[in-house]
Amino acid sequence: MSEIAIKTVNLTKRYSGLWSKQPVDAVKNLNLEVHRGEIFGFLGPNGAGKTTTIKVLLGIIYPTEGEAYVLGQPAGDPKNHYKISYLPENPYFYDYMTGREILTFYAKLFGIAEPERSKRVNELLDRVGLSRAADQPLRTYSKGMQQRIGLAQCLINDPQLLILDEPTAGLDPIAHIDIRDMILDLRNQGKTLFISSHQLSDVERVCDRVAILNRGVMVQLGRIEELLAGGHVEVIADKVPDNAVEPIRQLGGKVSLHDGRLIVEQPDNGTVDRVIDIVRAAGGHIISVKPYRRTLEDLFVETIQGGKNA
Amino acid sequence: MNATFAIAGATFGEAVRKRILMVILLVALLIILISPAFEPFAAGRGARTLIISFGFGVIQLAGTFIAIIMCTSMIPTEIERRTIYTILSKPVQRYQFVLGKFFGAVGTLGFMYLMMGIVFLIASRMALGGFDPQILRGLLMFFFQSSLLAAVVLFFSTFVSPLVNYFLSGGVFLMGNLLSSFLETIQRNPEVTPITRIPVQLLTVILPNFANFNVQNPIINPEQMLTDETAYLVQTIGYAIVYIALLLVASMLIFNQREM
Repeated sequence: MSEIAIKTVNLTKRYSGLWSKQPVDAVKNLNLEVHRGEIFGFLGPNGAGKTTTIKVLLGIIYPTEGEAYVLGQPAGDPKNHYKISYLPENPYFYDYMTGREILTFYAKLFGIAEPERSKRVNELLDRVGLSRAADQPLRTYSKGMQQRIGLAQCLINDPQLLILDEPTAGLDPIAHIDIRDMILDLRNQGKTLFISSHQLSDVERVCDRVAILNRGVMVQLGRIEELLAGGHVEVIADKVPDNAVEPIRQLGGKVSLHDGRLIVEQPDNGTVDRVIDIVRAAGGHIISVKPYRRTLEDLFVETIQGGKNA
Repeated sequence: MNATFAIAGATFGEAVRKRILMVILLVALLIILISPAFEPFAAGRGARTLIISFGFGVIQLAGTFIAIIMCTSMIPTEIERRTIYTILSKPVQRYQFVLGKFFGAVGTLGFMYLMMGIVFLIASRMALGGFDPQILRGLLMFFFQSSLLAAVVLFFSTFVSPLVNYFLSGGVFLMGNLLSSFLETIQRNPEVTPITRIPVQLLTVILPNFANFNVQNPIINPEQMLTDETAYLVQTIGYAIVYIALLLVASMLIFNQREM
């Protein structure tokens, strides 16, 4: 069994309208590998090509150039769809159906026969916490309940790979946490999750690796901890004499001194103790020492704005 | 076939809950029910002719509206609401989706025709005091006419927008009803040149002939007798089935290449 769940090789999707002069590359030469068992965050601003890539992976649209493989098979192979699942952004399910009926409908698409079908539907309703609302029409469901039923339909076939597009968008904090926990739970069961999201704090918390797409081109790829390395510690001190500034500056930090108040942004590399020692030796008082970790949001903004300025 | 029938069931369930379709059905049922009240206006043509042709007219009109309104938005709505993505990401082939949608539409039409047929039979029995087998034959013919129209609309919906589809399907239905008699007229006229006649002949062959299903005429005009009514019925239904099959194959081929 291949250890790669998703692989794209020079994947390009070009749109050229009937009347438009210039064809547009929604995705351009995308080379991506998602490993089995990981949670992979697929990020990018609106129009970056995330949904286009997902549609190619599902065989809903076809690549213009390049190749895409899902679980070792060419993307879009319906036989492969027994092992994958997809939750689109803001999905609409037939709202006249009840939670139980919609899950039964999706189970039928997989050809799951009775009594296994009812057993699985009941298990899933229980798992997503909708057992009590199972026989209510979906039109009476809240956004959070709709998203839970969406996740339940994703699990009806016990998939190896789940592709989730904005799974936590528009949810209240409680529903948000519930869905996030379910995602982590799925990872613990050995599932591969490919998540496209704008909820960067969620991605940072749950994903093992991320890729950032901008204007159809992949501009970042790596493990979260590697990409977010490079935070700093801010040291604020008072009554620091001028002659203490130079030795602190030599430690490599960003230093500013106004009326005896010193602010140091020191790279988190073990030199913070030296800064504190120098301040104290010079007769200054340490007011605060605060670590600042680089966030995925910082990285995202730097990456995208860097791309715009380029 | 499991997936096809599941999609057909969902399509049927959704269609019979569409308010606009229910309103058309209810209005049609009401008009059919009160049709015996028009008996005094029959003048010299007879109450039977009036009631039956009036009922068939209402049923045909309702069936036409239901088929067009229901099928125009069937596929575009699924794409717009992204429901189709959750379906096609399952082990469902695109042809199964198209077939499921069509069978769901035909199921809905069957349900609507059943409702209208029951009311029509009750109304005609009340007014005429007996059961007329022509009514059942007529209902069957109009059901197949609407099913054929549904296949036409579904075919167009695989590649045009709903608004364009309304006009295209409406146009095809109108032409399919008029072309054969128009062709007969111009064939009888020696002054018509081949430049005019050939395109009409070509269109008559290509477009579905909806006029064949219009059974009011033999009922309204009993003097125009069919020599073998059963053969005509079988032939016309056979024509509908073959034409529907061709349209479905074309729809599947187009939909298979469509990007959503």
